[in-house]
Amino acid sequence: MDFARSDSEQAFADEVRAFLRAHPPETFAEDGTDAGYGSGAHSHAFTRALGERGWLSLCWPREHGGQAKPMGHLLILLEELAAAGAPFGPVPGCLQVSDSIIRHGSETLQREILPQVARGEATFWQGYSEPDAGSDLLALKTHARLDGDHWVLDGRKIWSSHAGIATHGTVLARTDAASTRQRGLSMLMVDNRLPGMDIRPIRSLTGQVYHYEIFMDSVRVPREWIMGKPGEGFGQLLKGLDTDRFWGRSYKAPFLRRILGSLVEHVNAERPGDPVARRRLAQAATEIAALRALFHRAAWLIERGLPATGEVSAAKLMADELGQRVLSLGMELLGPYGVLRAGSPLARLRGEIEHQYQTSWGHTLAGGTSEIQRTTIAVRGLGLPAEPRPRG
Amino acid sequence: MDLSLSSAQQLVQQSARAFLREHCPPERVQALALDPRGFAGDLWKEVATLGWPGLLIPAELGGGGGSVGEALVLLEELGRACCPSPFVASAVVATTTLLAAGGRRAHALLPKLALGERICALALLEEAGRLEPGAITMAVAAPGRVGGRKLLVADAHVATDVIVLGRGATGLTALLLPMDRPGIQARPLDSMTGEKLFELTFTDVEARADDVLGSAGGGLAVMEPALRLGALARSAEMVGAAQRVLELCVEHARVRVQGGRPIGSYQAVQHACADLFRDVESARWLAWEAAWALEAGRPDADVAIATAKAYCSEAALRVARRGHQVMGAIGYSEEHPLHLFHKRILAAGLDMGEPALHLETVARAIGLG
Repeated sequence: MDFARSDSEQAFADEVRAFLRAHPPETFAEDGTDAGYGSGAHSHAFTRALGERGWLSLCWPREHGGQAKPMGHLLILLEELAAAGAPFGPVPGCLQVSDSIIRHGSETLQREILPQVARGEATFWQGYSEPDAGSDLLALKTHARLDGDHWVLDGRKIWSSHAGIATHGTVLARTDAASTRQRGLSMLMVDNRLPGMDIRPIRSLTGQVYHYEIFMDSVRVPREWIMGKPGEGFGQLLKGLDTDRFWGRSYKAPFLRRILGSLVEHVNAERPGDPVARRRLAQAATEIAALRALFHRAAWLIERGLPATGEVSAAKLMADELGQRVLSLGMELLGPYGVLRAGSPLARLRGEIEHQYQTSWGHTLAGGTSEIQRTTIAVRGLGLPAEPRPRG
Repeated sequence: MDLSLSSAQQLVQQSARAFLREHCPPERVQALALDPRGFAGDLWKEVATLGWPGLLIPAELGGGGGSVGEALVLLEELGRACCPSPFVASAVVATTTLLAAGGRRAHALLPKLALGERICALALLEEAGRLEPGAITMAVAAPGRVGGRKLLVADAHVATDVIVLGRGATGLTALLLPMDRPGIQARPLDSMTGEKLFELTFTDVEARADDVLGSAGGGLAVMEPALRLGALARSAEMVGAAQRVLELCVEHARVRVQGGRPIGSYQAVQHACADLFRDVESARWLAWEAAWALEAGRPDADVAIATAKAYCSEAALRVARRGHQVMGAIGYSEEHPLHLFHKRILAAGLDMGEPALHLETVARAIGLG
């Protein structure tokens, strides 16, 4: 077994670090909240800077203008960015949507959208959840019907990240009115500027806006802005689920390691020699290392096209529950100062802990709740019988 | 990154699994745990024909010249079968110590260890019960006389030799003594884990100059790398045992029917099994990453091993404890193998440094002053 980075991977990691030294993350304007996953704040400026390096199209095939690097390079890029606290908030969404466009998108979509993604100009929201379709996604009501050269889209999506500051979204909608459950669903790409789009912010418990609710009223979407053929939406979703979950959390371990580093700094300065703090921080360090190993294992399976559903769900589950434990430990170690926000007088550790503590409570809900992950591991990973569905 | 097993590792895995399925079924593990001698000398003879006791001994000293990676695959399988054996003490730690020390005595003993003719125990712990230099106080002088006590020594009843770590005039010193050297006495302790543990008393025992492994005062130099490897070995063993608990639980959840359907179709049970899987997988790959760090000679290998040992102990114990809840009442019975795995994990977690000791290494590595 070999956990080493290859020479080209190591060279790439050095290149990313050099880039971060030359372009300190804090010098980029931020235009959206940090959702706490490790991808930092939302910054169009930083996203464009990554685009200039060709890093938003790192693993794309050459015919789409990519560099055709193996996925290990992308993992290194995201790990290094997270370790440095860089504001690459929109990037994971760009990666997921561009991957889907490359796999399923029409030539029109590929020609029109991909170059904008590569330059860091197009960013995306994903429209899956609806007010009455959360963990039971297949209860969704958003629908689209074909009218000449356009799909006419109606419905509501909710909890879409950064939707109000993105340029486009992907919407899972029923395109066959006669269908039920997983059949007859399609993934459509929409431009935020289309008439009939109403994107409203949802202020979260952090006091900031991360999620949006999207109202779509007879939005006319060009016919070729569909991913694949009508009715393939759920299959695409399912196929992409493992990789989406993987990439959406792939940088959480280096992020938590960075948080742990600041907690160590705090304990050394404020409560040196505290044996309980010492023990718990060391324990957290072992768990973060185990989380990273689990992600590397999942990456290895994914890269070889091997089944990884259980491993990816386990990694996501562990990432988000461990994140809550580490940030809870942080709040405890900061004591009464922990509640002071960034910018407040007397705030410790730049007020970062309280914000990340608050965001962590959304992570075990987003991208499939922890309950959904556990059921997925049990049924699809371990082969336990599925819970019978109630009839009707 | 390449996380696949080498062909040599695959061979070890297949042959170990097949052998242990036939020769070390749960009933035999159970019988050995209940038996006061508790050690299958004939089993050790059988595994000797497979080359396990000499796996880490170079071919020129009669061993198999295997890699650390092969030994860890074997340890996962030993853990998965809950096989009681002096493998970690004799074939990993004592062997590695003797190889590091070199010299006539070590080179005379190693070929016999490889053949399974002799077994070497480790006499390390004292009253403090901690595996750290400050807790080792028994005075040793060679040439000279040795007196004192070593505690919680595993398998002293079947060992032919023992490595004793004591304190000499110039620092910690490791001695290699035959168990039949006059003045060495073993008193059995009664452990719930099925391990056979002893108190070793040394009464005016002669220590000769050539009993010293390495140099006088150089005990840590010859033993520290071996103990690190021992910690890694115990991690792999715990991963294997936890893997088996997961398998037992999933199998039980599939076939046990209550309320008209398998209990594994209830979310409460599914979610418990999911947690077992997360703990087993994360522990496994952390242990393998540490093994890689060691074999690749990475400067942070000691921290990687401490991290793995601390995490594997806690994760594997979580698996065992949660496993009881999945398995239900039958898992509480003596005849069901679950408790054997639980106890093996408990024992392995305490051996080669309990989690607190390794967490201290981690604490220093993350910069805690």
